[in-house]
Amino acid sequence: MSRTGALVIVILVVGAGTYLLRAVPLALGSRATPAAAVARWLSYVTPATLGALLGPLLLMPEGALLPPWANAALLAAIPTAAVARLSRSLLATIAAGVILYAAIGALLAWVGASQ
Amino acid sequence: MSAPTTSGRRAEALSGLRDALPIVLAYAPVGATFGVVAVSSGLPIWMACLLSLAIYSGASQFIFVTLAAALAGPVSMIVTLLLVNLRHALYGATLGRAFARWPEGRKWLGAWGLTDEVFAVLGARITTSAARGEAPERVITPPYHFVLAFAAYAAWVGGTVVGALIGEAVPTQVAAALTYALPALFLALLLNQRPTRPQLAAALLGALIAVAVRQLTTSGVDIVAGAVAGATLGALLAARAERRAAM
Repeated sequence: MSRTGALVIVILVVGAGTYLLRAVPLALGSRATPAAAVARWLSYVTPATLGALLGPLLLMPEGALLPPWANAALLAAIPTAAVARLSRSLLATIAAGVILYAAIGALLAWVGASQ
Repeated sequence: MSAPTTSGRRAEALSGLRDALPIVLAYAPVGATFGVVAVSSGLPIWMACLLSLAIYSGASQFIFVTLAAALAGPVSMIVTLLLVNLRHALYGATLGRAFARWPEGRKWLGAWGLTDEVFAVLGARITTSAARGEAPERVITPPYHFVLAFAAYAAWVGGTVVGALIGEAVPTQVAAALTYALPALFLALLLNQRPTRPQLAAALLGALIAVAVRQLTTSGVDIVAGAVAGATLGALLAARAERRAAM
């Protein structure tokens, strides 16, 4: 089989598998009311997942741990978190985050180049 | 489910559209970035679009591009990418109760749109309404969910098509800055609702475990491991606080 054909099969299998990962627990979870302890555990899945997505994005943006002072993603997260907390607006937070990240990245590149 | 009047459905569809707006604004540029990255790594334009249409999960699509460029074998690609997407199983289980009164066919259709961000928005809507004493199945209605999920999907696929077509014409610095829309969205979803102490602890442990696991292995289990560990800590802390309050 050609490489292109193999990649198309990978895409279709992963697409179908991802859909089933989304759909089967939803269909099963909607039939039974979970026990109180399970319901409580499930209510902490959202913040825990957001943390688990954020950790690698902020601490290892290029696939490896960066020192904090050279990590634009982490440095930009601090004022972005403040904007999230104060504005309570998703849009304002995204706009501020992108601008802060671009500005801090440019600043770090400028400091790095002048050293 | 609330009374299926036309005006009620329209109001729910409108709130779905309003809640979709931040996701659309994040998905369109990140989808476009994905299109640019995929095409500049050597994938054909149609394959970049097929990835967004068929998989619809940003992290695993970027990893697909990396693995394809590294000439990884098809079986190891499938295993890695499904491990990366394992976290989606938690989303359906978490939200199940909110979909309890939906007709069976619509549940299966509605599950298509359950991405990280759509899940977080639905979760936030349930939390906010629970504070007002509303049951989850009253706030996640089909008109609300389908408008939200379809707008997000359209933005992701549309962004990918535009990015793949303009390809290398986009300055790399602009594309790089726009990728920060995703962590910014996650920060906003985490902090907007003024998280409680157990929620913050769950997020922090989730982040630490995910980073630690990614240091040890590239298998893609990092997010699932962080989510399970963080949720367990959050639930334990909340249970302890309840026991203390009851004493």
